[in-house]
Amino acid sequence: MSEFFYGIPNTEPFWTGLKTLHYVLVGLAGGMAVLAAILTLRQHPDRNRYLWLAGLFILLDMFVLWAGSSARWYFSQFWLFLSFEPRAPIWWGTWGLSSALASVGLILLKTWVPLLKRIPEMLLGTVMLVGGLVALAYPGIALVVNENRPVWNEMMLVIFPVTALLMVLAVAMLLGSAWARRWEVMAAAVTVALLVAYPLTLQGEAREHFMREGLLVYATAGVLVAVALVLFRNPRLAAGLGLAGAVGLRWMLVQVGQIQAPGL
Amino acid sequence: MKLQRRSFIKLSAAAVGAMGVGGVAVMSNRAKASPWYHKEVKTVYSICENCFWRCGVKVSVVGNRVYKADGYKENPKSRGMLCPRGQGAPAQTYDPDRLKKPLIRVEGSERGSGQYREASWEEALDYIAKKMLALKESHGTESIAFFGHGTGDFWFVDFLPAAWGSPNAAKPSVSLCTAPREVAAQYTFGRAIGGHEPIDWPNSKYIVLIGHHIGEDTHNTQLQEFSEARKNGAKLVVVDPRFSTAAAKADRWLPIKPGTDTALLLAWIHVLVSENLYDREYVEKYTLGMDKLIPHVKDFTPEWAEQITEIPAGVIRDVAREMAAQKPRAILPPTRHTVWYGNDTQRMRASYILNVLLGNYGREGGFYIAMPPFLEAFPTPPLPLVPAAGGCAGPAAVTEQPEGFRPRADAGKFFAQSTAIQELIEPMITGKPYPIRGLFAYGISMFHTIPNVPRTREAIKNLDLYVAIDVLPKEHVMWADVILPEATFLERYDDFVTVAHKTPFVQARFPAHEPLWDTKPGWWIARELGKRIGLEQFFPWQTFEEYLNTRLMSVGLDLETMRQMGTMVQRGRPWLTDWEKEGRLPFNTTSGKIEIYSEAFAAAGFDPLPKYEEPQPVPQGYYRLLYGRSPVHTFARTQNNPVLMEQESTNAVWLNTEEAARLGFKRGDWAFMINPDGMREGPLPVRVTERIRKDAVYITHGFGHKGKGLSLAYGRGACDAHLQNHYTLDRISGGAGLRNNFVRLEKAPRPRLRSVVQIIRERRG
Amino acid sequence: MARLAMLIDLKACVGCAACSVACKMENEVPVGGSRLWIREREMGTFPNLTVEYRPEQCAHCENPPCVPVCPTGATYQNEEGLVLVDYHKCIACSACVAACPYDARFISKAGYVEKCTFCAHRLARNEEPACVTTCPTYARVFGDLDDPDSDINKAIQAAGQGHVLRPELGLKPKVIYVNPPSKQGLTRKEAQL
Ligand SMILES: Nc1nc2c(c(=O)[nH]1)N[C@H]1C(S)=C(S)[C@@H](COP(=O)(O)OP(=O)(O)OC[C@H]3O[C@@H](n4cnc5c(=O)[nH]c(N)nc54)[C@H](O)[C@@H]3O)O[C@H]1N2
Ligand SMILES: Nc1nc2c(c(=O)[nH]1)N[C@H]1C(S)=C(S)[C@@H](COP(=O)(O)OP(=O)(O)OC[C@H]3O[C@@H](n4cnc5c(=O)[nH]c(N)nc54)[C@H](O)[C@@H]3O)O[C@H]1N2
Ligand code: SF4
Ligand code: SF4
Ligand code: SF4
Ligand code: SF4
Ligand code: SF4
Ligand SMILES: [Mo]
Repeated sequence: MSEFFYGIPNTEPFWTGLKTLHYVLVGLAGGMAVLAAILTLRQHPDRNRYLWLAGLFILLDMFVLWAGSSARWYFSQFWLFLSFEPRAPIWWGTWGLSSALASVGLILLKTWVPLLKRIPEMLLGTVMLVGGLVALAYPGIALVVNENRPVWNEMMLVIFPVTALLMVLAVAMLLGSAWARRWEVMAAAVTVALLVAYPLTLQGEAREHFMREGLLVYATAGVLVAVALVLFRNPRLAAGLGLAGAVGLRWMLVQVGQIQAPGL
Repeated sequence: MKLQRRSFIKLSAAAVGAMGVGGVAVMSNRAKASPWYHKEVKTVYSICENCFWRCGVKVSVVGNRVYKADGYKENPKSRGMLCPRGQGAPAQTYDPDRLKKPLIRVEGSERGSGQYREASWEEALDYIAKKMLALKESHGTESIAFFGHGTGDFWFVDFLPAAWGSPNAAKPSVSLCTAPREVAAQYTFGRAIGGHEPIDWPNSKYIVLIGHHIGEDTHNTQLQEFSEARKNGAKLVVVDPRFSTAAAKADRWLPIKPGTDTALLLAWIHVLVSENLYDREYVEKYTLGMDKLIPHVKDFTPEWAEQITEIPAGVIRDVAREMAAQKPRAILPPTRHTVWYGNDTQRMRASYILNVLLGNYGREGGFYIAMPPFLEAFPTPPLPLVPAAGGCAGPAAVTEQPEGFRPRADAGKFFAQSTAIQELIEPMITGKPYPIRGLFAYGISMFHTIPNVPRTREAIKNLDLYVAIDVLPKEHVMWADVILPEATFLERYDDFVTVAHKTPFVQARFPAHEPLWDTKPGWWIARELGKRIGLEQFFPWQTFEEYLNTRLMSVGLDLETMRQMGTMVQRGRPWLTDWEKEGRLPFNTTSGKIEIYSEAFAAAGFDPLPKYEEPQPVPQGYYRLLYGRSPVHTFARTQNNPVLMEQESTNAVWLNTEEAARLGFKRGDWAFMINPDGMREGPLPVRVTERIRKDAVYITHGFGHKGKGLSLAYGRGACDAHLQNHYTLDRISGGAGLRNNFVRLEKAPRPRLRSVVQIIRERRG
Repeated sequence: MARLAMLIDLKACVGCAACSVACKMENEVPVGGSRLWIREREMGTFPNLTVEYRPEQCAHCENPPCVPVCPTGATYQNEEGLVLVDYHKCIACSACVAACPYDARFISKAGYVEKCTFCAHRLARNEEPACVTTCPTYARVFGDLDDPDSDINKAIQAAGQGHVLRPELGLKPKVIYVNPPSKQGLTRKEAQL
């Protein structure tokens, strides 16, 4: 059986380059917001440092999103804020990230704008937490809704939030925050478990495709995280390996999953 | 109070929203420019020039740009529809690679080295005229040959050479296309088949296609009517060594051994005769020579044909019986491109005889009798020569030799009156029978269209004058001494196109906008050149509108009315019954009847009844090179058209799965094609397929361009003509049989080609 | 409310691509993307062969998965059942591209998503889509599924059965194929991976 086309079918990957990068960065952005929110709610001394980081990652991610969009000079992005589309994961992602950014901004601005002091910090922290969690969750949801792309199965709902936490905690470890370690070990352990389980959830051609196109990166990522788990005595190395593994994994899943289901 | 507050909130929200929306609207408005159809669109009637079928089109113009071409119902060619090439035709005009200004080859530079300087039209035409007059002086007017094809070929291949005095005028659409079927038709029916095949498709019940790959061959009306026939339940049999698109639609596919069709046709005739299945009454009434046919086909049994064609005798017999059961609504339409193996006139004769036995000529569901429309020529003083190039409508019916001129340089090489373009190349090299020293190439792909390309190159190098009139910097164009850029079909008037048809008609081409760049219409070029070479008297009209209007007056019309109509349809006499009512028969043979047995052939020493001749065998280690059409391309003219190239950007070589396995080719591999003379073409992708016999490979014609100025076409795919170093001359029609050529395949590395999409994006700037 | 749909008779279609070129020209479809393309599949072994020529385009699904995922409301379904894109609202996020099981959408360089509109601008003028009017084999029939007398319903009846691609997804696509030369073609099981 052979196949031949007149015209160009639209089978090229649609999330490439900066758009894929977003799927990595949004984990850092959302995860950092969650960390910062928890630290804020707990009045932790590290709070400010992570607020700044959260703000930075969110801005960076938004910049990448903007720069990676072919609509960047049309500023149609405003429509995201002028519409009410609760069925659309990306709409949630937009509001999640921006509400987190807003609360981060407001807390940080308190130092200079006395008027803002009247907004209760607990409220801002809660908004940040919710926004951050939404941002953590939405990429997996955005992938999973595509029933036609079987590589993106329900496992995405877990893999994306967990690897996001793996990434931010790694960053925290690299910055020397000792409290991160315990959680990072847990995140790494869960990730390894997920990585073992995921291929088993794939079937038929989706699995074949995944094995052919993604196995190398997948296995490497898995090994990196597993090694990190073993090497936790060396926190910086472990953090670096965990971070690299998570980044590679997210990138690979977004890239390889852009394949249609069989039977077209 | 409560209410008030609510509406206040609503109001302010609305205000903020409106500001936001307004701002966004302003900023994001650029995202999508207003499409052309929302602008002021003007409609102009024209004729598609993306192939030689010439469908009437209605084009949508905004300013200096045509955005869309459509067919229109009143036009019997398009009937409201267009083929893919017609849809994409407007893109040709806006091709940034177009020829934009007259060019003169830098003095002293070699032909083919591509060194040119820009010139004014004055200078370019003066230059040509001077050389022409010098050649007339030294070698006579016959020493200049005129080759061309396309709607404007009237001026450059018919009118100008006849006025100038050269019989050496030829179109590729004769000896590289229809010559065998037209000559066979002349000597069988005494009528041409003609450029628009007169087949009554919709009423046919049983259709047998020999080759004839309709669906890939997308001659618009033919494809439409073929589809109507299928819709109406006609049974379809396709004889082709390749599982063509038509075969995919067929009820039976007969994968014949290439070159053996005459044996198959003879066996079918045998069955009709021996089983007494033919239309006796018809044969008795309208034909001559049946008595000679009966003993002639006695031994051509299906079993005999099976040995030759590799089609089971049982199938041959069944098909014969099936077609007989449907007669006279059973038909074998003549293929258009009939120059296959060199004995092609005889194959066509066999096919016509079979049709006649089915009693279908001049009957519904068979051949209708096409009449040309009535329209006077523009009155000019008598031309010294009668235009004799012919065309796909058949060889010109010129039989006498003109006085005071040497006969055509291909005279005597073959029997019929048709011109054989490929036979006019040799005299450019050998000077025999007399030298041809000058050449005009109007709209013809010299290096893709005429076989034996090395010979053509050598011939062109030898010339004293070589002029190309074209729209693109094709390779052969960039060899010319003077290059004249013609305005495209959208930018010019042309002479009327008259079509012999069931309902004969005249269609007109009106310019959609001014020519872009410094380009000129063909009629203007011909007239300006004519004035410079002493032929002013033959161009008595001042404006082209005057010329056209005068012609229309002969049918009581005028140009402005025609501008609103596009096409004028007349009545025809399509059926034998129409003729019989008038007490005559339409057959212009010597006998006035359909000649099954050809006395004329017998007298000239050819078989008066067709016989099977074996094609040249395939050498060990080689495949027979077959070729055909891509539905989205026309010959070698559309490979720089961005819209069509996006559909299909290269040809591929079809190779049978088993052969591919044997040679180690996989899907996605690339190959070179090499002929026994060592000529190499490609690389091109290999299409591993079950859809072709093991003894042949197949490519679509038209790719493999070598003109560097063609940013899309250059270096993609392979050119069949470059592998066709040999051709087998049909001694009856002058046709050049192209399928006795062979190639082997060699693995090639995947070439590093930039994607056409990328190039198109850059070309737009 | 109408349910406008496109029928393609695979017995008639010869895969000539007139429709796809017409679409390109009519809609100035940007180079590199297609609203319509033709897939040709070969099945069987010599000499028992079948070829399916199958034009593909947006099916204006009745349950379009591309609509709910659009975060700006740029993609919407109109009264007549057409799934359309408001180019000004589109942010080129590709969520809808991912959601479409038929590869019907692509992002144009100009910053918005493109796909077949069933030539809504022509429908507004009471003309049929450009791909329909040009088809030289009469393979395409356009019309309203809600109107029992429409040509398209008659054509489905005449053929006995209409087929859609990937029926298991339950999207109720409105590009309907009739007379497939082989069931193998439409419901092929091996992946296009
Ligand atoms: N899209 C498109 N359409 C075109 C054109 C174009 O350029 N593009 N050109 C037009 C013109 S001018 C012409 S002349 C026609 C030509 O088109 P046709 O008149 O249809 O040409 P053929 O040579 O009969 O058809 C080629 C077919 O013959 C088969 N074949 C090869 N060898 C043999 C053999 O020995 N026996 C048999 N039975 N079949 C064989 C090939 O496999 C191929 O399928 O197309 C016209 N239509
Ligand atoms: N090897 C091989 N040879 C063949 C065939 C084959 O299948 N294989 N087919 C044969 C057949 S059937 C035929 S009919 C012939 C066709 O042979 P040609 O008529 O030579 O075919 P094209 O390649 O279309 O060449 C047309 C030329 O006209 C130019 N042109 C396009 N539009 C215009 C215009 O408006 N004005 C001018 N002045 N020029 C224009 C194009 O750029 C191109 O150079 O080829 C024959 N030769
Ligand atoms: S058949 Fe196609 S390319 Fe040829 S004239 Fe008609 S529309 Fe144009
Ligand atoms: S135009 Fe008609 S025949 Fe040609 S590919 Fe499209 S649907 Fe098929
Ligand atoms: S075919 Fe794709 S783009 Fe069209 S409506 Fe269905 S899901 Fe949406
Ligand atoms: S690409 Fe445009 S139409 Fe598609 S989901 Fe995003 S915003 Fe909506
Ligand atoms: S309906 Fe219009 S937009 Fe859709 S494929 Fe046909 S021509 Fe293109
Ligand atoms: Mo031809």
